[in-house]
Amino acid sequence: MIIKGKLREYLNNCYQCAMCSGICQMGRIQKYTPSRIIQLIIEGFEDRIVESGMLWDCLTCNSCLEKCPYEVNFAEIVRDARNKMLDAGIMPKIAHKGFYTLLSEIMSKENITPEKTFEWVPSGCEVSEKGNILYFVGCAPLFSYEFDESMNNAVDTLKILCKIENEPIVLLKDEKCCGHDLLWQGKIEAFKKLAIHNIKSFERSGASLIITSCAEGYRTLKIDYPSMFENFNVKVKHLVEYLYEKLKENKIKFKKEKKNTKILKLTYHDPCRLSRFLPKSFNIYEKIRYIFKELEKVGYVYNEMVHNKSNSLCCGVSCWLNCSDKAKALRYHRMLEAKDVADNLVTTCPKCEIHFRCLQNDTETVQDINVIDLSNLLENVIEVIPSQQNKEVSKK
Amino acid sequence: MKIVEKSDKKQVKKDREFKPNIVCFCCNWCSYAGADLAGVSRFQYPASIRIIRVMCSGRVEPAFILKSFKDNVDGVLVTGCHIGDCHYISGNEFTKDRFERLMKILKYLGLKDRFRLEWISASEGKKFAELVTTFTNQIKKLGPLNNI
Repeated sequence: MIIKGKLREYLNNCYQCAMCSGICQMGRIQKYTPSRIIQLIIEGFEDRIVESGMLWDCLTCNSCLEKCPYEVNFAEIVRDARNKMLDAGIMPKIAHKGFYTLLSEIMSKENITPEKTFEWVPSGCEVSEKGNILYFVGCAPLFSYEFDESMNNAVDTLKILCKIENEPIVLLKDEKCCGHDLLWQGKIEAFKKLAIHNIKSFERSGASLIITSCAEGYRTLKIDYPSMFENFNVKVKHLVEYLYEKLKENKIKFKKEKKNTKILKLTYHDPCRLSRFLPKSFNIYEKIRYIFKELEKVGYVYNEMVHNKSNSLCCGVSCWLNCSDKAKALRYHRMLEAKDVADNLVTTCPKCEIHFRCLQNDTETVQDINVIDLSNLLENVIEVIPSQQNKEVSKK
Repeated sequence: MKIVEKSDKKQVKKDREFKPNIVCFCCNWCSYAGADLAGVSRFQYPASIRIIRVMCSGRVEPAFILKSFKDNVDGVLVTGCHIGDCHYISGNEFTKDRFERLMKILKYLGLKDRFRLEWISASEGKKFAELVTTFTNQIKKLGPLNNI
């Protein structure tokens, strides 16, 4: 028996309304849907589910929790079941031959201390080892193994931060992977080791604010670290939240680009980790729409996709599991939706970006839409309102 | 009594010389024949390597290297035909490109010195023996991977 104890109680709450099966994104292309899986487990056909390996197929996109009247957290059930499936020797198929997962697992060893080089730091940016504001780069440098553009996101985010802040930004030399992929693949022990290392190095740097530009990293640092380690209580902000606050405080504004006479049509893909995976009070999907409203004032056009905010469709892959035809079908569907309303698809999750770009290499029909990260879009547009003006206003 | 015995054992372990575990991928057409030649011509080299024969060095995925490091192998050697001599025409060119990219990541993890890519042809038995000797010495200096 793989699912025991607390998880069982979770399952017993389910009264088979099958809302989750209706919304499940894999449900359209798969025989078994969440409610059916829950029913089979309760009825005692656990072995059949485990042998078929269908729990490895779950996207953990949390669409089901969004609709569930009893808040049965199916994604968490899947996560813990995966941990037990690994113990039982039922292995997943990991995409990219398990390369990125292996990297995280090697990093989780205590005797390995990574040494980052900061060649990529753009000129004019001040970087230090100790300070107030820390930028958590995450796995972007590692993705450069296969994806040449992966560093653009980090470079542009750092440029934005340097523009706005007067003090040098902290980059950690011995920063390890945040562990998101390992956690959702069920390798919880390795995740804990990574987390302990990271928390220690955060403390050493003396930072009071951590900024990330990655959706998965944000969710992990913001929710999973504090829930496992009580002593971790540093503020964590995503770039979206950070920029939203600066806009509200009147510290930055967007300027018009003179070069571009062509009007850019934008649309935004909500990553699951920044919408459904956070408590509703976080409200990040409204914050980013505020940023787009401001952008509309300087001549951009923003259109909403059919499925948006917490109903948004999935990019098809999470934590490097099961990149298959099914996943590509989901992604294709999403990109067609974007193509209908805009010619620039903005997102805030580096992995969504990588996966969309990957599909563009294969399929001609979606090649004409441009996939960009929020930081790439805003890097040229942001203008800092000098503090002297503020002072003059206050004097008057 | 038992505690004393245990500490004795530990001391013995410390005194024993460190013998590295090295995984060596050899391509079937050149390097494996080269290793064979080294054996036939009786060149001496340390018994620290475990040879895995693959049909072409292009078969060796970077994930294999990471997997061996994950399982506490102390060093990894990848050998193949010289560029231009590949039995499958361009297999080793892919290998070269792939491992140049991997090198960046190994550098980041601090495992750069524990990995080496070399080209060895079927007639270079001597070179193979020398390579294994120098690489083993290099790993010996670095010490075992699981307690750096």
